[in-house]
Parts: sequence; C-alpha cells; structure tokens
Amino acid sequence: MSYKIEIEDLNAWFGKKQVLQNITMKIKENVVTAIIGPSGCGKTTLIRCLNRMHEITPRARVTGRVLLDGEDIYGEGVDPVTVRRRIGMVFQKPNPFPMMSIYDNAAAGLKLNGISDKRRLDEMVEKSLKAAHLWDEVKAELGKSGASLSGGQQQRLCIARALAIEPEVLLMDEPTSALDPTAATKIEQLIRVLIEDYTVIIVTHNMQQAARVSDHTAFLYLGKLVEYGPTKDIFENPRSELTEKYITGEFG
Amino acid sequence: MSRIIDTGLEELSVMLYKMGELTYKTISLSIKSSLNATSAHSQIHELSDMLVSMADQVEDKAFELIARFQPVASDLRTIKSYMKIGYDFARYGRYAFDISYITQRVGSLKECESWIREYIENMGEKVLNMVRTSIDSLRSHNTKLAKAVSQTEQEVDKMYFRYLDKLIEKGSATNKCTISSVLIVRYLERIADHATYVCESVIYLATGGKITLR
Amino acid sequence: MRSYTFRKMKDRIMVSLAYMALVVALIPLASILAETILRGLPAMNLSFFFEEIPPLGEPGGGIGPAIQGTLIVVALASVIGIPIGVFSGVYLAEFRQTRIATIVRFLNDVMTSVPSIVLGILGWALIVVAIGWSVLAGGVALAIMMIPIVTRTTEEAIKLVPMTIREAAIALGVPRWKTTMTVVLSSAKRGIATGILLSIARISGETAPLLLTILGSRFWFGGFTQPTAALPLAIFNFSQSPYYTYRAWGASLVLIFIILLINITVRYATREKYG
Repeated sequence: MSYKIEIEDLNAWFGKKQVLQNITMKIKENVVTAIIGPSGCGKTTLIRCLNRMHEITPRARVTGRVLLDGEDIYGEGVDPVTVRRRIGMVFQKPNPFPMMSIYDNAAAGLKLNGISDKRRLDEMVEKSLKAAHLWDEVKAELGKSGASLSGGQQQRLCIARALAIEPEVLLMDEPTSALDPTAATKIEQLIRVLIEDYTVIIVTHNMQQAARVSDHTAFLYLGKLVEYGPTKDIFENPRSELTEKYITGEFG
Repeated sequence: MSRIIDTGLEELSVMLYKMGELTYKTISLSIKSSLNATSAHSQIHELSDMLVSMADQVEDKAFELIARFQPVASDLRTIKSYMKIGYDFARYGRYAFDISYITQRVGSLKECESWIREYIENMGEKVLNMVRTSIDSLRSHNTKLAKAVSQTEQEVDKMYFRYLDKLIEKGSATNKCTISSVLIVRYLERIADHATYVCESVIYLATGGKITLR
Repeated sequence: MRSYTFRKMKDRIMVSLAYMALVVALIPLASILAETILRGLPAMNLSFFFEEIPPLGEPGGGIGPAIQGTLIVVALASVIGIPIGVFSGVYLAEFRQTRIATIVRFLNDVMTSVPSIVLGILGWALIVVAIGWSVLAGGVALAIMMIPIVTRTTEEAIKLVPMTIREAAIALGVPRWKTTMTVVLSSAKRGIATGILLSIARISGETAPLLLTILGSRFWFGGFTQPTAALPLAIFNFSQSPYYTYRAWGASLVLIFIILLINITVRYATREKYG
C-alpha cells in the first residue's frame, strides 16, 4: 500500500485568521481516513484544501504542499479544475442540482466536462448509480426530479454524481450529519465498499462514526494535527492526553 | 451489503475455530503420551503457550469490536461468549499441559495395572468427546448439541469419584502410578467442566439464556 | 373578563379598518378596469383589430397597426435589452465586490428612476437625428429602459442560488465561468424569466419614449427605419378627438389586457409546484 496523498506543512488562512497550522500527514491508498475534532478545529478547511476548494472563498489563502501521487497540486501552473476531477467531493447537506432529473444529476459532471455521447453517458450513469448502491431503487424512474428522492437517496445520488467522473479520491464532509440513522448506516456501509476502488477521506464530528468506518483517524485541535494513526490505536490507546480527553468526552 | 461489524465478527469466529481444533489436538496428544509414555512434552508446552496467546488475541479483538462498533443484542452476546470460550479453550491447553507435565515429572501410566489404564483411557475418550462436542456446537451455534453435553458431564463426574473409591479399595502397584493417575483423572474432570462452560456459553450466545449444564 | 371583551372589540375594529383600507386601495384599480371595460367594450369587433387607424377626426377604423407596432417595438427592445440585461446581472452577481461592479450597480439603480421622457430624448438624439423617426429608435429607447430592470432582477435571482449548488459543480471540476453559465443560470431561470416578463409588461405601456422616437403613424409597419404606430400613442391620438372616444377606450382595454395577460402568465408559470 502506498501513499495516495502526502500533505506537507499545510497552512491555511481566512483573511488574517490562521485556521490550519503546519499540517503534515500521509494518507494511504484504498483506505478510509477519518478526520475528527471539536467544532472549529479546521477539519473541513483541511479537506477543502485537498481539492483546492478552500481558495474559492474570498480572502482564503494556502501555503504548503499537497502531493497527489507524488505531484504537488498547488504547484506552479497546476489548474485547480483538473485537480478537482481527480479528487471528488460530497457535501454535508445533499445538494443534487434542482430542476434536473436523476439521470441528469448523475451525468452532470460528465456533460459539463464535454462528454455528450449518449451511449457513454448511459453507461457511466448506470455504473455510478450502481457504485452508489442506488441503481436498483431508481432505475425505473431515472427521469424523475433529483429533489423527489429521500435525504439518504439524495446523498447517494450526490455520491454517484461525484463517482461518475471517475476520481481517484473521494472527500466527504460530514456526509451523514443531515440524514436519519438508517440512511446514515447505509452510507457507512457503502463507504466500506467504495475503498476497493477509491481512497476515501471523511470528516465527521461523530466519533463513533469515525470508529466504525475508518481505518486511520486523525485528530485535529485548533488547527493543529494532534494525533494520527490506525483507528484501533486511537480509540483503544491514544498517545496524546488531548486525544484521550476528546474521545472520552471530556470536552468538545 | 453486509454490516460493518460482520467482518470483525467473522475474524473472531475464525480465531476461535482455529483454537478449538488446536485444543483437541493438544488434549488427545497429552492423554496418549501419558498412556503410552511417548515423549511429547515440549510440543504440548508450545501448543499450550500458543493457546494462551491466542486467547489474548481473542480478548483484544473482542474489545476492539466493542470500542469501535457499539454492538448490541445478539452481537454483544456473541462477543461476550467468544471471549469466555477463548479463555476456556486456553484452560483446555493448560490442563493438557498439566497432564503432560505430571507424566514427565512423576511418571507415565504405561507400567500401571491394566484396570487403571483402561479406566483412564475410557475416561479420556469421554472427555475428548465432550471437547469435540463443545467445538462443534460452537461452530454451528447448535444449542441441542450443546445441551447434550450435560449428560456426559454427569457420567464423567461419577467416573472421577468412582475411580477414587476404586483406588482406595484396590490400591495400585506403585506410588508413582497412584499419584500420576489421581492427578490425571482430576485434570480430566476439570477439562470436562470447561467443556460444559463452553457449551453454556454457546447456549447464551444463541438464546440469551443463562443455564447451567452441570 | 372585562378586559377580554374590550380586547376582542378592539381586535374586531382593527380588522374592519384593515379591510376598509384594502377596499379603498383597490378602488382605483377596480374603477380603472371597470371604466375601461365598460367604455372599451363597444369598440370590440373584429375590424377594430385589423383596420388601419383613420385620420384625425374621422370615425371608424381600428387599431391593427397599433397592436402590431407595439409588438414589434417591444420585441426589438427585448432582443437588445434582454441579453445585455441578463449578462450585466450575471456579472454583478458573480463579481459582487469589485470596484467596477459597485459603480455599475449604482448607475444601474439611478437609471431605473430616470424619467421616461428623458430616455425618449436619448433615443431621439442617438437615432432619430441620424436616420429619422423610426422603430429602431423606439426599440433602443425602450431597451435602455428595460436594461436596468432586467439587470437588477437577474442579479437578485442569481444571488438567490445557494452556494451549495455552485460548490457542487465546482467540485466536479467545472470551471467557474461554466458553472455560472450552466448550473447557476439554470437554477435561477425562474427568477430571471419573471424579471424579463415584468420588464416587458412595463415597457409595453410606456408612452413618452415612443413619442420622441417612433412618432406614431396610421399605417401598418413599414420597416425598421420608418415610424410606426403603437398602442399608447393610438390611445393618445384617439383621445384628442372629441368624438368616437370609444376607440381610445378600446385601445386602452387592449393594452391593459396585454399587460394583465403577461402578469398573470408570470404568476402562473412561476407558481410553487410542490408544496
């Protein structure tokens, strides 16, 4: 197993406020890495730096390197658009495109990137909906509005939409916090299946979810990386006292 | 899609099955070696140590599953039972080691009277059957099989006390024989007890009911 | 108990006052409609819609050319005004904070309150002086009137599109400009369409700009560089003559009807489909 992403000395700011300090970590391929920490610790900012979404906010700034398969995505002349095609993202609140059908939603990434061959689109839509474990539920009504699905289904649609452009890494920003427990469990099970083909990085404020779903866990506090290691170790025997306090619920 | 915890539970069962087969091998080896004076002590020692370390791993894994996956209901009972059974299997190994140690330290049963040898061979066979039953009922979560062990347990219990009576009445050729044989039937009786515990755990795992089979 | 009865009475009084105020407010609208319908109805016959405008003082005739003229001038204004307005609105919404955007927005707001006659003079100065009284001039003047409205409503509609939609598209590796032109615009299309239709309804009834640009005429459309008739002008002219004023009312009825139709269509088309 090699390292898919290597973060070196990453710092991030919103205007004058520094949100991430000297983050350095290596993320393995085809595993689930969870990022946990109390509100405001910078975990969302961290993953948004990984697909260069942080910089679309006005007055946002980033320094440091993020290597994807050895190449710095913040390097000279690197187009953020191409980075985002290799590193996909799923957001906290399911956000299928309104006024678009299920089919169109799944195909959106492809269509907007210039692919118009109907046969290829059909193929990719089916493949990605299957990968998101949504195909069976919607295959009979692909023309229905994306917004007519339940919350859990909408989120799986968003996952399908992200997978359709065949990224290598999938970033998930609290993907289940807006869903009911049953839907959330489905997504967690789906994540365990996805790592066969993708590398998944998930931000969650739900520690138990991180314990269930991830292979490695990183604990962030006030913008600093406090501890990072196999999930089993973090939850059974954390090395840092701060981690122990957070995990046992003394603060956060 | 399978549940996230299923992978972990599967790993735990596999560990236990491996342990089970290993205990059967270890116990039968030690009984044979004491009846036939074949030297297998170092091997049995190694096996027993392995079983202890495997029981540790089972406990470790069980706690990891609890910490990470918040198991409830049947999952929780399963994990609890597996931990206990792991300990019981390690005890099998321990008693097998004890039998072998006594054989080596005090003496084998090869030179004893045939009535003693037959008696212990008989008892040994019954106990091995109980061990087999315990392993099989675990594998298939078969409560009927597990309950059947209670009858054999009573028989073994009787055999234990009857041997003591017989020995008092008849006596034996050598002191070595007396001491070895008494200790060995004692260990066999303890193995039988643990086989019963294992079966009780299987019933708890499957039904949630705590019953005694003794 | 006593204070409760008192409160109930106060409540009833307030509600009645509110209702009365509503009625008073509706009276002008109701009376306009009533008057127009009553007085304009006698003029409604098929020939009214298709015949040419008679010379001043003569009876008979129709407002055919006026309807046609209004439609053509408004169409021309739309063709010019809509694209400019929408793109300006998109620009303002996407580059909200820049210096240029702030200046443009300010000028835009000012333009929405420019008197329409001034726009008429502008059209006159720009086009009529060069090529004479013409539909083109009218179209330009009305377009200038339309642009600020469309820009403003487009900007608002686009601002309403939630950031999550944009982020979803950006995260798919879609460049910023493409995101705006496809996903964002498509999400905002209802609001934009509303704005466009309302601005069309607005300019259809403007008289002052047309006075100084298309001049008015009695005949059917003769070319973009020629003067033409229009409903507001027809109403004005018909009302000059003391006789046959029913024709003015008839034209008013038609104009009001067109504007009402547009408004109702907008309301219907943009209604909440799912509760």
